[in-house]
Amino acid sequence: MLMVITFFLSMILAFASFFMGKKARLFSIASAWLMAILVGIYIYMTFGGGYHGGIVSQYNFQIAPSIGISFTTGVTGFTGALIALSAVIILVSLMVVEKDSENSIYGLILSTEVGLFGLLISRNFLFFYIFWEVVLIPMYFLIIRFGGAKRDRVGLKFFVYTHIGSVFILLAFFTLYNYYYLSTGEFTLDMGTLMNTAFITGHIPVFWRDFMLFGFLIGFLVKLPSFPVHSWLPDTYQTAPYPGTIILAGGLSLMGGYGLFGILLPASGIFSSTLLYFLAFLGILSLVYFSFVAMFQKDIKRMMAFASAAAMGFVTISFAVGILEHSYTQVLELSGGMFQIIAHGFIMALIFASLYYIRRNTGSEMTYGLGGIYREAPLLSSFMLAGLFASLGLPGLAGFIGEFSIVVGVYQGITWWIFFIILGMIVTASYHVWVAQRALYGPYNEHLGHIRDINRKEFATLCGLLVLIFVLGVFPNLLDGLLTAYVGGLI
Amino acid sequence: MFIWAWLIFIFPLIGFVLSWSIGRYRKMLGGVIASFMVGLSLLASYETFLYVNSLGHPLYQSYQWFYNIKIGVYVDHITLIMVLMVSLVSTIIHLFTMYYMKGDPGRHVFFAETSLFTAGMLGLVVSSNLVVFFLFWELVGLCSYLLIGFWFFKPNATAAAKKAFIVTRVGDLLFLIGMAVIYNALVGYPGLGGNSPLSIPFLINNASSIASYMGATNLGIAAVLLLGGAAGKSSQFPLHVWIPDAMEGPTPVSALIHAATMVTAGVYLVARTYNIFFYSAPFAMYSVAIIGAFTALFAGTLGIVVNDLKRILAYSTISQLGYMMAAIGLAPVIGAAGISFGMFHLVIHAMFKALLFLTAGAILISLMDLRDVRQMGGLWRKMPVTITLFLIGSIALAAIPPTSGFYSKDTIISASWLYFSHYGSFQAFLPWLFLSLGALLTVLYTFRMFFLVAVGKPRSHLAEHAKEAPIIALIPLFILAFFSLFGGYLFQVPFYNYLATGVTLPSIPAYIEDIPLIYVAIGFLVALYLYGTSRWKSIDLSRNFFYNLLKWKYYMDVLYTRIIAERIILPVSAAFSTVENSYNSGVDRTGSGALSFGTLLRRMQDGVVENYFIVLIIGISIVFLLVELFKVVI
Repeated sequence: MLMVITFFLSMILAFASFFMGKKARLFSIASAWLMAILVGIYIYMTFGGGYHGGIVSQYNFQIAPSIGISFTTGVTGFTGALIALSAVIILVSLMVVEKDSENSIYGLILSTEVGLFGLLISRNFLFFYIFWEVVLIPMYFLIIRFGGAKRDRVGLKFFVYTHIGSVFILLAFFTLYNYYYLSTGEFTLDMGTLMNTAFITGHIPVFWRDFMLFGFLIGFLVKLPSFPVHSWLPDTYQTAPYPGTIILAGGLSLMGGYGLFGILLPASGIFSSTLLYFLAFLGILSLVYFSFVAMFQKDIKRMMAFASAAAMGFVTISFAVGILEHSYTQVLELSGGMFQIIAHGFIMALIFASLYYIRRNTGSEMTYGLGGIYREAPLLSSFMLAGLFASLGLPGLAGFIGEFSIVVGVYQGITWWIFFIILGMIVTASYHVWVAQRALYGPYNEHLGHIRDINRKEFATLCGLLVLIFVLGVFPNLLDGLLTAYVGGLI
Repeated sequence: MFIWAWLIFIFPLIGFVLSWSIGRYRKMLGGVIASFMVGLSLLASYETFLYVNSLGHPLYQSYQWFYNIKIGVYVDHITLIMVLMVSLVSTIIHLFTMYYMKGDPGRHVFFAETSLFTAGMLGLVVSSNLVVFFLFWELVGLCSYLLIGFWFFKPNATAAAKKAFIVTRVGDLLFLIGMAVIYNALVGYPGLGGNSPLSIPFLINNASSIASYMGATNLGIAAVLLLGGAAGKSSQFPLHVWIPDAMEGPTPVSALIHAATMVTAGVYLVARTYNIFFYSAPFAMYSVAIIGAFTALFAGTLGIVVNDLKRILAYSTISQLGYMMAAIGLAPVIGAAGISFGMFHLVIHAMFKALLFLTAGAILISLMDLRDVRQMGGLWRKMPVTITLFLIGSIALAAIPPTSGFYSKDTIISASWLYFSHYGSFQAFLPWLFLSLGALLTVLYTFRMFFLVAVGKPRSHLAEHAKEAPIIALIPLFILAFFSLFGGYLFQVPFYNYLATGVTLPSIPAYIEDIPLIYVAIGFLVALYLYGTSRWKSIDLSRNFFYNLLKWKYYMDVLYTRIIAERIILPVSAAFSTVENSYNSGVDRTGSGALSFGTLLRRMQDGVVENYFIVLIIGISIVFLLVELFKVVI
């Protein structure tokens, strides 16, 4: 119940923060903290005593049961972790809002939190879809009101592109809804009932089954994003204000990942092996392609956008290969994919938050516009460096556990294709280290003049994130225990 | 739970936190805390040593880390030797570093990073699972990166740090695939019995049944992939390019990381997982032997032409690492004695190479970081104590008979002759050939370096005004000098038998045994003839083909940087980026196409009733016309 209360509370607080005037900043940060603490308590209470797979905190609020509409909630180990991730990234993104921004930005950020919470706890497709769209709208306004150059155009592109993906999801679950009615004479939009291998393979014609799968995959892969449906990504990341970028990197990838592992995985029997091989290929292609593209970017923000997309390539690979092979490594690689989503959210939050401070203090976010800033801002540079190393998958930090599980787990499924993954990882390492060398180290770029380091509050923000990343990297079982239990309950 | 074994690497971790946080405010204390904490881990290592010896069997404790990967400590005799060596050398180097880094504004960061490095290295040595091993393995790689680039304002240093990280990363990822191969093969293995498939004690104790379960060839592939990781870290042949550049870092870093400890991690990995190599197909062990032996020769040739004092030492390190690797690779014939030989050379090498680097550091301080040996000369008179220590290191490196280097290295060369006489084939002859020629080159470049540095007249203004380092800073070095001189004589046979049971020194014909000694004499005389006098100045080799080949390091750097990085990776990246841009603008154009179509539709609805009326009329006429047309046609 606590989670449902937290969710409704977040709705009220987000609404209220639009009317707070000058106090909006304080109010929104306080409410984000409140959310984070409530989520923390909830997760500790629910999963602290051991979790053995399945759905917990199920509640049902009937709205129109005759046509299948009811607000059903439920949380799994995976969604619990994602809820915690979204609470943290919202908090971080509020911390990096520019001081003199218009007050509505705080309300918009809190509204995305409402959307994220809502879609993660809904077990009913209609509400899932509503909250899925609720995330998009504040993001759109964040971009067109607070973004950088060409924000109108980029905002529109982002909205239309991702919305087209969402519409396919709508069509997909309408297909399910329809055929469920045809086969049983009942209307339901319940996820657990509809996403059921026996029902789908038994009662839906092949064409509509493929249509439904296609719809879901398009919707989720756009959000993830995966090659070739990623065109919204670089422009949007670059143009969005830093809080928006953090939400994009953590929150929107989270949505795509939740779609794959939370919604499609329970019905994993409906995938044909051809489709899975294709998905695995897409994942490998994304990883290699985005890594190479990222290497050629001069703008660090844009480069990290591609780095984020490349990290999501791992997720697609682990999803596809994890379903494909029925062997002992299945649990390892699937939980690795989910771990990767969560670790990636934290890591990207750290990178973009430090990059925001760099941008604010130096006025530049281009690799060649910086140079040697370690001399003037050692703490800030250290955090950026830590973020870069976490992002390239250094052991001891959160990024490693996911990548390790995936690389080791998928080996049996894809054999020598693993060398492409390794190629991607080497290129990834190269450009991360290259950025560190050019932007943070080397002789100081005297054109920047005197720049200041971060103050205590900013230090606390970054340090908190780094500690989280470090704890997840050193005590992965805090999270991995939940994920393996979740996967173990499904397969 | 035996706490001391864990404290071995936890003490320096505490040192990392403390020396950074306290050192920020009291710069002096940073070094003191770091040295103290590393000293404590020497104590912990000693306690563990006593405990495990009294225990009579290896110490193994593990806890779940995630899924079926466990974190824990595994301490057997190899581990004990390594932890004692690492913590001893690290303590000595930390003490010397307090002198070396005095006055540097960032020295608290430096000491924090060296503490972290020591923690990583000790953690690597004691860890009981390959994944945890890999974690510490990358941690030391990170520290190496940070410390090479410690003087971040030097473009060379940051470039070298980047190069070191990327090259070792290539090896590390091979290591990762090796783990993937083993994990996938063993995760369904019935004999697993609750162990993690990557647990080191499980792998080495059941290696023969594992080999028959997954096939000797598959295990060999995994072993070669592990060797790839070891080659990256220990800078063996194709991945050796990073160490010479890494000399841009502070000299204690070169001594600690790039001579005594981190670069031996690769050798340690092979020694640690020795049974995997031993029971897999023969090609795995042979690649260890041949890569090691070839590296020993190859790096030796490069060491002859370099003029940078630290780079000469760097190439000698690569070459000596090759000897250690080759010694382990000889195992099919000499058995586990290969580990004994390799590890003994590893420990002795750590002593004399740390000594050489630290004395080189003292020399560089007094010469204001002038590193070109051609401009030194005559330093023996200026700084007698330092150069005497330097000489002790040099003769140990050159394996002049009574020093430790002779005991540790000549055994390996003799063993390689045994290897040849057992197989009698040409391939089996190669290790001996490479290793013994390597001995000749070692003497040559060592004494070239020594004569250029120490004797003759000072050849630059800085060399004329060189001054001795304070004697208190040099005291820790005497411990190293002692081991370099007498370690071999005192410890050789007990050491060999500590690591493996029933090791005998290889007995081979006397005329073969003498060949390395003859080489030593020849090398020494050539060096004396050329560099003991000023004859070398009159030799002009700048047009000689072989000289240029060596000067350009066999064009390996050119291959990696100019060809692979700049002609392959970068153009591919540019091409992908262009594809991405055009794809992106294509999507944009589609979007604006849709928009302009929408605009067209909007313009038609302009609210002027006359226009609507005209459209209506035209539309109706067209419909009528079409209907009439269809009537005619039908």
